Amino acid sequence: MLKSKKVLISGGTGFVGSATVRALAARHPGCAITVIDRSPPRAEHILPKTIQCMQVDVTSAAEVDRAIQTVKPDIIIHTAGIVPSVVDRFSRRLEREVWKINVEGTRIMLNAALESDVEAFIYTSSCCVVTDDLSTPYCNIDEEWPTSHTSLIYGESKVQPNGHLLTPPLGSVGEGDYQLVPALHACIAKYQTPFIIGDGQNLWDVTHVRNVADAHILAIENLMTSRTASGEAFFIQNNEPITFRDFCLAIWSHFGHNPPFEIRIPEKLAYVVGFLCEMVAWVTDTHATLSRGSVRDACAVRYVSGEKAKAILGYEARIGIEDAIRLSCEEYARRIGVVLPARC
Amino acid sequence: MGFIGNALYYSFHPYQLRSIVQWKVWHNPPHERNPANETQSEKDCFKFLDLTSRSFSAVIQELHSELLMPVCVFYLVLRGLDTIEDDTSISLETKEPLLRGFDDFLTQEGWNFTGNRKEEKDRELLVQFPCVITEFMKMKPAYQAIIKDITAKMGNGMADYCRKAELSDASVKTIEEYDQYCYYVAGLVGEGLTRLFVEAELANPALLERPHLQKSMGLFLQKTNIIRDIREDNDDKRRFWPQEIWSKYVDNFDDLFKPEFKEAALNCNSEMVLNALEHADECLFYLAGLREQSVFNFCAIPQSMAIATLELCFRNYDIFERNIKITKGDACSLMFASTQNLRVLCDRFRDLTRKIHKKNTPKDPNFLKISMACGKIEKFIETIFPSQNAEEANRRVQGVLSEEQLKKREEDAENKSDVYFMMALMGCIVLFVAGTMMFFAWLMGARFDLAFKELMGGNFRPPAPSAIHEDL
Repeated sequence: MLKSKKVLISGGTGFVGSATVRALAARHPGCAITVIDRSPPRAEHILPKTIQCMQVDVTSAAEVDRAIQTVKPDIIIHTAGIVPSVVDRFSRRLEREVWKINVEGTRIMLNAALESDVEAFIYTSSCCVVTDDLSTPYCNIDEEWPTSHTSLIYGESKVQPNGHLLTPPLGSVGEGDYQLVPALHACIAKYQTPFIIGDGQNLWDVTHVRNVADAHILAIENLMTSRTASGEAFFIQNNEPITFRDFCLAIWSHFGHNPPFEIRIPEKLAYVVGFLCEMVAWVTDTHATLSRGSVRDACAVRYVSGEKAKAILGYEARIGIEDAIRLSCEEYARRIGVVLPARC
Repeated sequence: MGFIGNALYYSFHPYQLRSIVQWKVWHNPPHERNPANETQSEKDCFKFLDLTSRSFSAVIQELHSELLMPVCVFYLVLRGLDTIEDDTSISLETKEPLLRGFDDFLTQEGWNFTGNRKEEKDRELLVQFPCVITEFMKMKPAYQAIIKDITAKMGNGMADYCRKAELSDASVKTIEEYDQYCYYVAGLVGEGLTRLFVEAELANPALLERPHLQKSMGLFLQKTNIIRDIREDNDDKRRFWPQEIWSKYVDNFDDLFKPEFKEAALNCNSEMVLNALEHADECLFYLAGLREQSVFNFCAIPQSMAIATLELCFRNYDIFERNIKITKGDACSLMFASTQNLRVLCDRFRDLTRKIHKKNTPKDPNFLKISMACGKIEKFIETIFPSQNAEEANRRVQGVLSEEQLKKREEDAENKSDVYFMMALMGCIVLFVAGTMMFFAWLMGARFDLAFKELMGGNFRPPAPSAIHEDL
């Protein structure tokens, strides 16, 4: 189906991008893949040898135009974007940069695509466009949900009027994950594991980056055949919601750590403490681990309905959540040179 | 426990007592049987129903009159079959043809069976079986056909099981065998009942197109019983926990009961609970297809009891030591919730699921699987009763209010102005009364000017009485 098609993947050396490249190369060896990225290939995101890499900054229209003129792609997958790290997620410090890359970059890519003969354009957005308004819970929401008005910089920056895949940004684990598993692993050393903020019953849906990559390939296949996915947005998750607390416990347990006791902190109290921490951080000009945003994040209910992606794309998570967590922990342990304890 | 024991227990557990009282006072049976118009054989059937079943008798007797006798007879027929199967004093040669041919006895007027040993507790039912046969023959042919069909299937299933038990060993090996066993003893009942409900037009016919839902209804109940009764069954030399599961934790089944394998036994327990819990969402799905209140109650009560029992058994080492069951107060409160509507029942299911979830520990090898099973139930409840919808969210984002909200806002505004009016009125009255009092005081010669001067001078106390006396 995709034989001798040319595929251009922006952000292809990143977390989701490189996983998509690997999956595409494995599933459709016939297609020619070109990666454009601001950074050169990175050690933690391995790319197949057959692909071509170009160093291109998506915020520069000239560079993007040149790349698209040279490659003449049939399909563009736009994954380039910046996900603020956990610390900056709730502040506005990086607003300008995030906005420039995620919004301007996408506009430039789209304009360049329109001027060439691209058949399909797939944009990797984020479920944050809907769920970053932290003031309400999101139980089993579907794609009809509106994008939120008050929100975090990342969610705002990912709102785009095109057909796109909504992926969980802080909710993906897998090879080369530099946010989720590392941040939670760090809690062990900081003795933060016994603290439960809120009731610990809030469900959320995580996924493995390879499932996200699968969804991209299904989207390409759809757009090359029936085109029923054209102009549509899809939530891509595992559809196996578990509580955030259990997700953390599972990760810690892989690293051989079980909290010796548990302390429950009511959400309201934590929110006040988070606010105080922010003030201290503001006065001392440092970063607060605990903030009002992170408290609300930890207590947020966020899981979606996978019905639409299943019906139109035929997407179902190939890697179950249990394997996803195990694989990610194993990979991260290798990366930091830790030997995981044997499990029964 | 005796009266004093009970009195003590309930004075320390007032909520339990409250649930019992609430159930006794407020439960209105949707239908009641009318013993005055009943024939002798009908009365006999209900007598045996009371004798053979503690838990089902009451709910069956509240069923819609259309289904009252069919379900009662169905229950007694299966109970008769079970009494033959359970009796270890009957040889396989006698037992097998009895079980396989039991459906034919239903149409042989006057058939009874006296071959049970004296200790068999439901022996009398088979001795006086003709009353059941009389009632069976009076039913609509469609109901007869359903009951006969299920009896035949179950009889053959039981016969196969007895034959296997005699020739090799009856313990359950694989999870597939376990499901199979539960299907014969409980799943088939679910199938028969569903067909009766649909035939009586009291349930959604679509239930018949989803046979896995009715199967789940039966399996969920049976698996819960098997988990709870492990100690009792083992004492009777019966093993229903599949080897495929327990062999992951202990080498010999008996090790589960030894204190040195406590941790292994608990982990095994949680995998068994997980295995049962995976049917829970399908049970709720099934209950959503029932149209009539009495049928809903009949199906919902055992299900809510089952999930409560499962919660009680989950990671509870007591099940390996003795027979445990939910308290009477809890049972009453569950029955109360199960006789309302699906929404109330779902809330109960969610609460119990969360309680199971709370007991889950990361040391358990099935930790994530249990977490996922709980998440699945919660997500399912959210799909049938969404707590919010896209339309509302859209309105919230656009800052538009729905009609209800607008109405509420208007009402609020009205209430507010009412409150202001009342306060203003009160203020006026106070001012008027105070003014009048001061006026009369002035008429009687009160010197407000002096009082005012004193107050301005910082003297808030009246002059000492002794000083006045001296002046006089």
